[in-house]
Amino acid sequence: MAEQNVREPLLKVEHLSKEFPAEAGMLAGRFSKRVVSAVKDVSFEIYPGETFGLVGESGCGKSTTGRSIMRLTKPTEGSVFFNGQDVAKMSNKELKDMRRNMQFIFQDPQASLNPRMTIGEIVSEPMTIHNVGTKEERIDRVRELLDVVGLNPEHINRYPHEFSGGQRQRIGIARAFALRPKLIICDEPVSALDVSIQAQVLNLLKDLQDKFGTAYLFIAHDLSVVQHISDRVAVMYLGKIVEISDWKTLYTEPHHPYTQSLLSAVPVPDPDVQKTRKRIILPGDPPSPIDPPAGCRFHTRCPIAKEICGNEEPKLCEVRPGHFCACHCAAVNPIKETSIEL
Amino acid sequence: MAKKKHTDYVDLKDQPIPEGQHLLEVDNLKMFFHTEDGVVKAVNGVSYTLDRGETLGVVGESGSGKSVTHMTIMGLIDMPPGKIEEGDIRYRGKSLLEMTEQEMQHVRGNDIAMIFQDPMTSLNPVYKVGRQVGEGLRLHRGYSKQEALERATELLRLVGIPSPEKRVNEYPHQFSGGMRQRVMIAMALACDPDILIADEPTTALDVTIQAQIIELMKEMQQKNGNAIIMITHDLGVVADMADKIMVMYAGRPVEFGTADEIFYESRHPYTWGLIRSIPEQAIDEKKPLTPIHGNPPSLVNLPKGCPFAPRCPYAVDICHEQEPEHITTETGHYSACHFADDPEFLKFAPDTSRSRGKIATGMPDTLETSEAAPKADGAKKTGGEA
Repeated sequence: MAEQNVREPLLKVEHLSKEFPAEAGMLAGRFSKRVVSAVKDVSFEIYPGETFGLVGESGCGKSTTGRSIMRLTKPTEGSVFFNGQDVAKMSNKELKDMRRNMQFIFQDPQASLNPRMTIGEIVSEPMTIHNVGTKEERIDRVRELLDVVGLNPEHINRYPHEFSGGQRQRIGIARAFALRPKLIICDEPVSALDVSIQAQVLNLLKDLQDKFGTAYLFIAHDLSVVQHISDRVAVMYLGKIVEISDWKTLYTEPHHPYTQSLLSAVPVPDPDVQKTRKRIILPGDPPSPIDPPAGCRFHTRCPIAKEICGNEEPKLCEVRPGHFCACHCAAVNPIKETSIEL
Repeated sequence: MAKKKHTDYVDLKDQPIPEGQHLLEVDNLKMFFHTEDGVVKAVNGVSYTLDRGETLGVVGESGSGKSVTHMTIMGLIDMPPGKIEEGDIRYRGKSLLEMTEQEMQHVRGNDIAMIFQDPMTSLNPVYKVGRQVGEGLRLHRGYSKQEALERATELLRLVGIPSPEKRVNEYPHQFSGGMRQRVMIAMALACDPDILIADEPTTALDVTIQAQIIELMKEMQQKNGNAIIMITHDLGVVADMADKIMVMYAGRPVEFGTADEIFYESRHPYTWGLIRSIPEQAIDEKKPLTPIHGNPPSLVNLPKGCPFAPRCPYAVDICHEQEPEHITTETGHYSACHFADDPEFLKFAPDTSRSRGKIATGMPDTLETSEAAPKADGAKKTGGEA
């Protein structure tokens, strides 16, 4: 990751915001001014071959960020540069070409596989859509992919219901890799799986990355999983990124009070550590994104909030090279304001 | 049939535990489902004891029988298709299996209460929260509507719901996930149960909310001295709460012991596999995970011999032939593995020297002393190892 600094980023997200109308219905967007601010001013970069973890609690906007990058939903503001082109401004034709290099792995392997298609059809579909190879070549490729993800290529004509949850997720992974994309957005790929199966899938993702050099945007709520797989991690709270850093720094020297409390809330599978470690238990629930708190969005639950936190929104500042934090109190010596040049 | 009044019952929880017995004793319990596809051996020889003030953690993957064992204890399994094949469940010396449905109804919620995983589906969406929390009190204690509502308000305050006077008159959909789980806890605690069975109570919640709920359960236990059975797949949660741990696989307990015994002196390769599968919160270099290969067996077609043998990296011939008995140490720590008392074999155990999990060390002192964490250190468990 050392050469990261000189490499061109594969994906550059700049000031991405996404708002949804707060009321449902056909005319809601036209008359109602109330909006859910799901993602607000999010910026980060992903370099070729790295894993960028995006972690946060439910409703913090991490999935919406992933979906906006792929333009499964259109961002309200901001730009997403993939290979230098702005995804947010692409035509449908351009989007299709772009998606050859950017694929998605979904959380629920049950819901994301068509039950009426065989796994051979499912895995070859991206190649069919993008006209890759002849039919025979595609079948060979599917067999190869199934083998790579640890499924029996003989099972090419079986249906998704004949597989267990972990195996279905392997099918989803094979499909995502079918076009050898440069970036895969993994939205909670292991959270529906049991811990022993989860470890199998995480190892598989790591192996495939080593083999094909794919970059991952890894979205999850489980900090230990994100830490395990990521090179760099961003923590989101209520639609905003509060901290970005390499995985080691984030877990050993977290700056933002939210990151600190999140880390301290994760139960560690070690009774001795549990008995002795410090814990910060945040009061209450996250506020509603319909009417997010003014100033720092975290100040209503923050244990160290000061007056300024309720009035002024903190900017994401570089507290040391490559480590960014958006907090008035924690970022004691902001080196410079970030323009996300890492 | 004339309905018996609550006063006709004697609360079992007020009766002394007979000499030499435990609060709850599950003895070689076997409950099979008889289905068209065959006999599903869902609970296949579960034994444990539980005392007051203790927390038992039950861990295992989905389908390992951890939930269905406790549904059986609560008498919540439809029979048929379910059938108790063998064994007994004794609560304060009295067999729950011999009770009539009416007697069981008095035990449920009053002596033994349960919290379910999904608070949305276990709360009734058309009744106000206050009515649901007070329902047990009206049923078991004969409270009037007004009394029950007052007590419900108090209970909601106890579990940390702000402005409970207002909230008792709201419906479940007006509560957030964490708040709903607090309502469930309030409901379960309403009648002061002896045993609280919590089935994945925090799995659907975010980690900061999970931490709140776990603290709350510990605090309530300290206050009431009740026993807790914590069913979860998260080894972190049991490390946090449990005095004793039962690890289940394919419907049977494969290992049982104190939390320290399970985490630091485990004698079963399945437990080792679980521990190795968790991403370590390591601060140095990342090590690849060691997953357990394959998938859990079908409960209809259990493999011959040890059910874990097909996935066990150390399995030898005897494992595929003969089902292992529980090998018990002096402290009551048992393991269902042929080699559990072989010191050479135990050398394969994961190195869980007590240096793991050093995380988030760079925490400033300001946070430590802040008001947000007043309960963190105070929650010492009541009761001890038995």
